[in-house]
Amino acid sequence: MLGRGERAPDLEGLIPDGPLLLSFVKTDCPACHLALRCLDDLGAQFGDPARVVVLSQDDRERTAAMSEGLRLQLPARLDAGWAASAAFGFEVVPALFLIDGEGLVAGSCQGFDKADLNRLAANLSDLLGRPRVARLKTGDGTPDFQPGCVSRHVEPESDAEPAPLPGLYDLRSRRASRVEVPQGVEVEEFCYQQGFADPLPVVPPTVERVDAAIAASGLEPAEVVAHVPPNYAPATVEKIAANAVMAGCLPSYMRVLVPAIRALCDERLDIHGVQGTTHFAAPLAIVNGPVRREMGFACGSNVFSNAARPNSAIGRAIQLVLRNLGGAFPGNIDMSTMGNPGRFSYVIGESEERSPWGPLASDFGVAAGRSAVTFFCAEPPRAVSEHKARRGETLLRAFCPVLANVWSHRACGRSEALVVVGPEHAATLQRSGFSKRDVVQFLYENTGIPVSEYDGDGGEGTHEASSYEECVIRRVRCYRKFARPESIRVMVAGGPAGKFSVVLGSWAIGPGGSQMVCHEFA
Amino acid sequence: MSTILVNPADERALPKAIPAPRLQSIEGACIALLDIGKAGGSDFLDRLRTLLHQKYGVLEVLRYRKPTFAKPIPESVLADIRQVQPHAVIEALAD
Repeated sequence: MLGRGERAPDLEGLIPDGPLLLSFVKTDCPACHLALRCLDDLGAQFGDPARVVVLSQDDRERTAAMSEGLRLQLPARLDAGWAASAAFGFEVVPALFLIDGEGLVAGSCQGFDKADLNRLAANLSDLLGRPRVARLKTGDGTPDFQPGCVSRHVEPESDAEPAPLPGLYDLRSRRASRVEVPQGVEVEEFCYQQGFADPLPVVPPTVERVDAAIAASGLEPAEVVAHVPPNYAPATVEKIAANAVMAGCLPSYMRVLVPAIRALCDERLDIHGVQGTTHFAAPLAIVNGPVRREMGFACGSNVFSNAARPNSAIGRAIQLVLRNLGGAFPGNIDMSTMGNPGRFSYVIGESEERSPWGPLASDFGVAAGRSAVTFFCAEPPRAVSEHKARRGETLLRAFCPVLANVWSHRACGRSEALVVVGPEHAATLQRSGFSKRDVVQFLYENTGIPVSEYDGDGGEGTHEASSYEECVIRRVRCYRKFARPESIRVMVAGGPAGKFSVVLGSWAIGPGGSQMVCHEFA
Repeated sequence: MSTILVNPADERALPKAIPAPRLQSIEGACIALLDIGKAGGSDFLDRLRTLLHQKYGVLEVLRYRKPTFAKPIPESVLADIRQVQPHAVIEALAD
């Protein structure tokens, strides 16, 4: 592979004069698609598409289909016969080369890596003597890094049909087809027979109803909001609208449902894994901000029940999207051993007005007064009941044994928890002067499993005990349940009367599992 | 008048996966075992390796592991397996 300071080969005018950023891609490589979306933005920011040059390793037809799917403004040139690829000598695409004004290689990278792209973009800005362009950020819903694919010119020769375009990052897709219900067949029953529905009756997604939902979204019907794992079908605005109608959503609910589907498919949440797990986890959506009051989300009594239409219908629409577009039908891909009532609908609003602390979304940097949806892949709710405690410390002691049992009793350091504090409990904590940080710190420091329980019986979590952090909780030697205080999140919801709260355990956590995601919306 | 609905489902024609040709015998073969990272997977595959050697005359058993069961297999692990071109791959899928 050509290194820094080496001369870029003369390829008979295929590559214009530098400075420029040259990118080799192939059409069936998801990492190339990710890179191309970023490069397209980069070309637009430079205001000069000739500074960002794309060379496709595939034919004109496949390259055009890829550009259309990704809605690229950048023209893609063709590396016919892979002469340029061979001359630059890389083995993985996307392969990026920064070429300076003298025609020398000034930097390069392979695969998709935001840090590398930021570095090359900054260097190109410097070479052009222009202000540096906006940087790609962590947490924008796309991965920070994705390995590339083997370059076409070093692939083993094959007579097989080329792979279909994956289209994982396409921004447009085909319109939904129309389905005619046979005469004499009840429409609701037809939807069930077609496999469109969960076991409950649905509102038929007629063209008129779906069009109304699309119109309310203010978006184009063919616009792709996300690709839904594990089958990665494109969730177009039209497909989301059809599922929203079936779930009983009003057209106005698209305001929440569209950003919710985007957040649901944020790669950090890893809904891919949750869709097929044998565990209890289901994606719980927490709604914050003014949208709660404007749309009437339940945040108070019966917050986890069927108390309000937006919670129930949007939650059901999310589940229908996961089935109909993600492909996770129970017993097929969704192999949950026990399931979770949240698989019907799992949406709550935070009772911000009764919280002594900032809303959950503010923990993720969302400003006060803004609406947001946060996803947490959660077990079913675990009850905390404490009616006698008058002090914050006494009250929180009732939470600790419940927290100690999330995931598996003796497994430490590999789970997270969301604590939904009921308003009466929140008031007790407020009177005792507990900030949200104090609550988290207390729960972290006082939740552990007695070392005496690790008596060599070989149960889950016992084999790794030597790696656990030991502590003393009320004069008892324990292993600390959570890896860090940040493993515990706190919010307020529930009815004004009743000294009850809820603890929700997580699924697999961290970068190798599911991470909470929070998406702000208008 | 008939009712027309908007199709809410995935309409793509997903390619059908065709099972790989079956080996007539695994005696003297090279077999790759892929551990997806679930608890107990390594115990299971240890036993399987012993059986493959002792009972079926497998010449070589190679071990691979996904970094996490929670996500798809990384391309780098697939590339490692492809590079050695074993006669067959056995995946210890789930628990």
